[in-house]
Amino acid sequence: MTRVIEVPTHFDDRSFDTFAAGFGEWPPEEKVLVDARGTQWASPYGLIGILTAGQALAEAKREKPLLTVPTSDEVKRYWARAGFFSQAAELFELHGKVPRPGATGPSDVLLDVTPVRASEDVHGVVHKISEGASRILHGELGLEMKATLRFSMALSEACQNIVEHAGTSGWVAVQAYTFRRRLGRRVVVIAVSDAGVGFRRSLESTHAKRFGERWGDGAALEAALIQGVSRFRDPGRGQGLAFIKRFLDQWEGKISIRSGTARLSIVPPWDEDIPLSDHLPSFPGAQVQIIIPAQDPKSR
Amino acid sequence: MGRVLQEAVAAPYRNLVTRPTGAAVRIRIEAALAVSNCLTALLDFSEIELVDLSCADEVVAKLLLTPQTAYFLVLQGLREDHHEAIEHVLTHHRLAIAAVPPGCMVPRLLGWVQDDAREAFTHISETGPLDVSGLARALGWTASRSREALGDLTLHRLVRPMGELYYPLQTA
Repeated sequence: MTRVIEVPTHFDDRSFDTFAAGFGEWPPEEKVLVDARGTQWASPYGLIGILTAGQALAEAKREKPLLTVPTSDEVKRYWARAGFFSQAAELFELHGKVPRPGATGPSDVLLDVTPVRASEDVHGVVHKISEGASRILHGELGLEMKATLRFSMALSEACQNIVEHAGTSGWVAVQAYTFRRRLGRRVVVIAVSDAGVGFRRSLESTHAKRFGERWGDGAALEAALIQGVSRFRDPGRGQGLAFIKRFLDQWEGKISIRSGTARLSIVPPWDEDIPLSDHLPSFPGAQVQIIIPAQDPKSR
Repeated sequence: MGRVLQEAVAAPYRNLVTRPTGAAVRIRIEAALAVSNCLTALLDFSEIELVDLSCADEVVAKLLLTPQTAYFLVLQGLREDHHEAIEHVLTHHRLAIAAVPPGCMVPRLLGWVQDDAREAFTHISETGPLDVSGLARALGWTASRSREALGDLTLHRLVRPMGELYYPLQTA
């Protein structure tokens, strides 16, 4: 028997829970088919979410899942340009014609879907992003020059969370696009995802006791993002997310972290998200999304 | 720092990022200091593009946290964003370090010290060595206030006490 999981038509952080719900209990017993034929658009968060599902199935020693690629040529080209298919081919049996990557000219993909397995990969990511980040953040989004380096710092810290806490590898992708419905402005989005132990299990041995019965995925996210705690006893740990939060405040940016069955967001004035969503469909590891919007032209 | 970084990661990167990289760089600095007779170590960041918080913590904060070090640390060649990362981690640990701004000989303080200690540091860095009473006179403080501020700076290894005098750190 095969469990068919449909990728939402518009696949981003908002529709992610529909995708996660398709898997039921983790890991699903049946063979999985991820059906992206009807997908018209996917954010970097969505793309690396698919890879995370594939990785989690591989780590659970399940049969290699199938992935049917989008029917739309435009969508396929976009996914190829983002480096999705080259990563997906290792985790899924791909069905459908896949375009060659890099054959379609320049794009707003600032960083292809990139695996993060060790700290050397973080060096590679930061090195690769530096030029494009300045062009987009300063040139297009109107952020001050020093924002580029803060942005790289945020990217570095977000990727290091995988290396330090997940207990497995993950992915990162960075892209610029226009948030038409939510904001009506250009944004840069960093998406980071892993199929690891998640925040609750990472922090459980050192922090669960303090929370008592409240302990769960939501409390673990609060502890990490709001209180800056870490599983390490080293007092220098846990500063990365606090720093990201601080400068996102200055830029009216947004960070949201989904882990297990909860999602916690620091919600800027332009967004109507719920700060803490609990009892969501379970999904492996942790998924982080950082959104940096173009500055309001009036304030430039 | 650029050379130490490239030796530590065995790659031509100019970004001081990740904890393992920071730890490798710190170990190299400690090894160099262990065989040196110099009292003051000047860490030059001018060839460094980016410093993230993890590396700032592993390199700068942990060097300062090393117990019973015989040397004084001064940073130079820092850009504004380097300042920001280092200041953030030092404030978190309640530590401070002297940093020489580009094109300037007088260091400024990065991180956390009491206000009086900060004022005393600036004064001694600008005017040269002073004793407790000299600082008290110059800043219009009582002797005990002056002694406390200088004690703070000594504890943070931000001045060099020699006899009755407190010397500014060497920056060149």
